[in-house]
Amino acid sequence: MSVAQRKNPVGEIVGAVRALATGLGLTWQVMLRRKVTVKYPVERLPVSNRFHGLLALPIDPETGKDLCIICFQCERVCPSRCIHIEAQGKGKERVLSRFDIEMDKCQYCAFCVEVCPTEPKAIVFVPHYESSTFDRSTLLYNLDDLHRAAPKEPIATGIVDVRHRRAAGNHNGAGLAPSAARPGGTTTP
Amino acid sequence: MALRTEELMLNMGPQHPSTHGVLRLVVTLDGENIVDVRPDIGYLHSSVEKMMEYRRYVQNVSLVDRGMDYLIALQNEQVYCLAVERLAGIEVPERGMYLRVIFDELQRLASHLVWLGTWGIDLGATTVFLWCFREREMILDLFEKVTGGRLHHAYFRIGGVYIDPPPGWTDEVKGFLDYFDRCVAEYDKLLTANPIFLARTKGVGVITRREAVAMGASGPVGRASGIAVDVRKIEPYEVYDRMTFDVPVFPEGDCFARYQVRLEEMRQSSRIVRQALKALPGGEVRSRVPMTMKAPRGEVYVRTESARGDLAIHLVSDGGEMPYRVKIRAPSFSNLYALTEMMRGWKIADVIAILGSIDIVLSDVDR
Repeated sequence: MSVAQRKNPVGEIVGAVRALATGLGLTWQVMLRRKVTVKYPVERLPVSNRFHGLLALPIDPETGKDLCIICFQCERVCPSRCIHIEAQGKGKERVLSRFDIEMDKCQYCAFCVEVCPTEPKAIVFVPHYESSTFDRSTLLYNLDDLHRAAPKEPIATGIVDVRHRRAAGNHNGAGLAPSAARPGGTTTP
Repeated sequence: MALRTEELMLNMGPQHPSTHGVLRLVVTLDGENIVDVRPDIGYLHSSVEKMMEYRRYVQNVSLVDRGMDYLIALQNEQVYCLAVERLAGIEVPERGMYLRVIFDELQRLASHLVWLGTWGIDLGATTVFLWCFREREMILDLFEKVTGGRLHHAYFRIGGVYIDPPPGWTDEVKGFLDYFDRCVAEYDKLLTANPIFLARTKGVGVITRREAVAMGASGPVGRASGIAVDVRKIEPYEVYDRMTFDVPVFPEGDCFARYQVRLEEMRQSSRIVRQALKALPGGEVRSRVPMTMKAPRGEVYVRTESARGDLAIHLVSDGGEMPYRVKIRAPSFSNLYALTEMMRGWKIADVIAILGSIDIVLSDVDR
């Protein structure tokens, strides 16, 4: 419909100009507000420490051993069946010989964390979100990887504020190779 | 001498970026006019109903997150948990129910924001897309602080919710809502009186009440055609019967009415969350349900009002640890088939505007 066909072309034009001014005025206001975006590798947004980033097996700081009591509950409850546990020995000598998690299968539901009967939990989620990789085979995490991913100290409740903190390493892209992005190093199963 | 014309069949999708997922539309055209539209679905079929038969009741919570509508993961969890709770007669503590309502409404906000943003892009308005995703990001942050997930939460449990929100979270939600109400006013200011927006939406893609009922359209699409049905009002679940809110109904049945319904729903959702936060009682958030729970023999049909409409689950149990059969009534599926009626007679340029206005999620359509 062209302007000539309309009943009140002047009114239409005035309305359109007014609407344009309203829209531009609003966007101008918003432009002057504080920015919400960050330059990602240099600045980072805060991550909740409940964030389901990576599974980890914390070690008991007193005994230096696994907290895991090898009850197989997490293996059983996992909907994706991505946890594989094997144990050796009997009675008190029983130790983990295998604890593999296929992180590519994991759906980050935290059922394993929920069912874990030990206190503190023997399997936890850590809020580490840069675990992407170019090689799928590196997503098979064994016992050593899961120990390394574990937080050095118990995670406090609250929010980990990492905004505007410069990340370690260079930011030319080379420092963000998958191996460097993993906590404590890499694995090649 | 009249020119000889013939109808043209045009395929839109399944890789077309504005079909909101993998949807193929077979559009029959007479010149620029649409004669017929047939949606061709099935590209995102994930057989979630069948998979649910091979997982225990407790494990299915994480499956309905992603197997059904991924933009309203918490509402999927809610309908599933409600179904199992009603079947097995499990009580949910007060606090758990209030928390579920809060999360349910925040999820509705997040979903409507995605819709408004992407529809804005469909109509050529990039600003509203960026603004909506800015606010949605804040909601996802609020989710992340409690559930640990942003899109897939696995937060609701049979018998309540997984864990209490961290201290101070409710104040953050209140702060967000104060900010969000101003944002909705901004969207309103930006779009509702804009002549370009009105020209593309007002009177476009009309579906009458009668056709909408015949096609089973529900939710905002139904309410924009004058069907004054909201499951939260007619069959209240959780604590919705204690909440005061209005159900926006518009009789026009066009794209603009669907926009108005959703915009008003955002305001109402914000109102519900405020009430729920105010009334949030203390105590337990969940009743203990064993990981290997069994549901008694029987069947149950539970309806909820999701962000897209009437989301329901029909669950059959043979008394075992896993469901015997699950049927999901997906609102997007029914709403999608109202599309043919909406589009007939409109121009090819309106296809995207009309398709965007019904707010479908293809993983919900195909399941």
